[in-house]
Amino acid sequence: MNAPTPALVARPERLRLVGQRRQILALMHQRLMFGMLLFAGIIAIIALRLIWLAAFGDHAGRKGGAIDLTPERGDIVDRDGHALARTIDAWIVGLQPAKVIGNKLDLARKLAQLMPEKDEAAYLQMLRSGRSFYYLRRRASPSLVAAINSLGEPGLALQREPDRLYPQLSLAAHVVGYTDIDGKGNAGIERAFDEQLRDPARRGQPIVTSVSSRVQQALEHELDAAKTHFSAIGAAGVVMNIHTGEILAMTSLPQLNPNAAGQGSPEARFNRATLGVYELGSTFKPFTVAMAMDSGVIKSMGQMYNCPKQLHVAGRTINDTHPFGRACSVAEIMKESSNIGTAQIADQLGSARQKEFLRKMGFLDKVQIELKERGRTLTPGAQWNQIERMTVGYGHGIAVTPLHLATGYATLFNGGIYRPATLLKVDKNHAPGKGHRVFSEETSYKMRALLRLVVTEGTGKKADAPGYRVGGKTGTAQKIIGGHYSNSVNVTSFAGVFPMDEPRYVVVVMLDEPKATPETFGFTTAGWNVAPVVSKTVSRIAPMLGVRPDKNREPNLAEVLPFVHEDK
Amino acid sequence: MSARGFGSVIWAGAVAGAALGFYLVSLNVASERAELEQVETKIALAQRDIRLLQTEIGTRGRLAQLERWNVKFIRLSAPTADQFVEGGFQLATMVTPHKKPAIEAPVVLASAPVEQVIPNRPKLTGDADSPAAQAPAAKSASDMMYVASYGVSDKALTRPTSTKPVMLAPAKTVANKPQAAGAATKSAKTATADPLAPLPTAKPKSKGSAPTASAAAATPKRSLKDSDSD
Repeated sequence: MNAPTPALVARPERLRLVGQRRQILALMHQRLMFGMLLFAGIIAIIALRLIWLAAFGDHAGRKGGAIDLTPERGDIVDRDGHALARTIDAWIVGLQPAKVIGNKLDLARKLAQLMPEKDEAAYLQMLRSGRSFYYLRRRASPSLVAAINSLGEPGLALQREPDRLYPQLSLAAHVVGYTDIDGKGNAGIERAFDEQLRDPARRGQPIVTSVSSRVQQALEHELDAAKTHFSAIGAAGVVMNIHTGEILAMTSLPQLNPNAAGQGSPEARFNRATLGVYELGSTFKPFTVAMAMDSGVIKSMGQMYNCPKQLHVAGRTINDTHPFGRACSVAEIMKESSNIGTAQIADQLGSARQKEFLRKMGFLDKVQIELKERGRTLTPGAQWNQIERMTVGYGHGIAVTPLHLATGYATLFNGGIYRPATLLKVDKNHAPGKGHRVFSEETSYKMRALLRLVVTEGTGKKADAPGYRVGGKTGTAQKIIGGHYSNSVNVTSFAGVFPMDEPRYVVVVMLDEPKATPETFGFTTAGWNVAPVVSKTVSRIAPMLGVRPDKNREPNLAEVLPFVHEDK
Repeated sequence: MSARGFGSVIWAGAVAGAALGFYLVSLNVASERAELEQVETKIALAQRDIRLLQTEIGTRGRLAQLERWNVKFIRLSAPTADQFVEGGFQLATMVTPHKKPAIEAPVVLASAPVEQVIPNRPKLTGDADSPAAQAPAAKSASDMMYVASYGVSDKALTRPTSTKPVMLAPAKTVANKPQAAGAATKSAKTATADPLAPLPTAKPKSKGSAPTASAAAATPKRSLKDSDSD
């Protein structure tokens, strides 16, 4: 009983133990509490996130963003809004040899059946090679894609990629241009406006060109028919609004298909209308006469010049196709396209004034247009003496592009104001180019009757389209072959303006090396081969352009008719 | 004490209910928005399809293709200057029937038999000059009608008076075709009977306006009355 109860008196070491346990317990409580708070916090965060999502988040069925309709590359449309170039999603067929699971020999056989451009062996070699990816076909047709899809081979990849499509094929190919396989502009508007077409901010809006598809088609068709008929190696044509400088149609033949630009020959890719420079011959004569009238050298259409059968100047001889052998008036010089008469006018005008006029008309520089394909003109340069100014007077010794000629005629007939040509539609978004005066309004007015005379009475009779009052000038220039002017190889051109009583449009057509046919009686001059093109083209396009045919209207021919000598 | 206890429950319930309400509103808005987005997506897809189809139509109906069809089959050509009209008025003139020259129209001559013919009266006329008093009822209207023709009508030949056929035949030549019968003898008359020639006097004209009714006997002179001149 008096035995001491050991339990009552704790031994010091046990007391120490109790203290320790308390401490441990407190620590454990602390840790547990910490862990619990941690879990509670995580749960709270998740719950809050859920609530947040429930209140403000998207629902599960949401599509990944709205469909973006902005094309990869901007459209190019004509002035009426018809597409000339568009970007579409094309199918590409690829091959990933590593992913092929089926029998490779069978697959190669089937591929050779579907795409016969390569044979079985080539496909098998591709399948067995270690490369990761092959392009089998770009821009595959939907039927081919369906057939390949039905093979069910995971190693065949069908993908879509943006591709440039030219729905009108070769129509206005040289204006629109084309892109390379990576979608970078290589020619035409595609090249000139490449930045704008790629710019994500601006590519949603199409580029509205001044070209009218229907006018373009008419010009291309008629010019191509003439080119084929006369076996010419090339042709070019421009239709232009003389007041705004808008180009309604511009073509260069042979044509290329921009959908497969790589297959076109270099000849087809060459833009004769803006890049090719030609001596355009007699189509220059109206400029010389207008310059002389503006400078006061010619005071009246009846001013007489001595027109011998040949003119010898500085060791060279100038000939005429219709020699007068008598005194002739300015009106007759123009009507019969006399080199001798025009040379004398140009001589009186003088080199300095001639050069200044040509400079103001832009004939000494590259043609002003948005395109990058612009040819450098060839001029006498520093050596501009008597014989040079005489030959330049009738369009030899100076080589310009057909577009130069069109802007020149526009300048001459719109009241005398030079305006750069443009390929963009002139409207509220795009003002016409800034112009400057070259000829006086009176000169411009007087030239109307003169050029109408050429068509009614002179060398350009076949260019007349009844009722449309076409006026213009033929031009036949000999080509330089091996350093000499050839007698048989020509560049024929016609620059026409209609309707002549109130000029609105200029048409320039050119044939490169046309050959004679039986119905031209062996002639290869412009009056026989290009003038009919103008007639046909004008009678097709004039109604579209709102020009009413009227057989009772004519420019004031009383200005010139009194000065034309009637032989009969 | 119990009320206080319920109070907290009610509060909790109210808060939960409000939260649920908010959640439902939010859910509703979200679903509306989703539907709107679906519609927008559909519109965008439709626009893409439209663009695709437009491209396809444009490519298939490209101008070069139309031109080829035209050259081969349709063969339309540019209108000539004469095919343009000045306006509705000129267009309307094209559909009006052609007016035949009046001379080719049947020449209807009113006449009535005259009993007491003055022998020396001017030779030709188809004109009626019989006095109204001369038993107009005796003849029916159809008998008094003469239709000009190339043949010699029976009526003309069986006229009661002998002078009448002679006088009527030129009236038929008035119809501008020389008659086979009696052409030789009446050629001179034909000349005088030229309807386009001006009437010799003003008198017959005034008289011609009412040939049968007027007292023609008072003016015995007879002349050609051309029905066209009325």
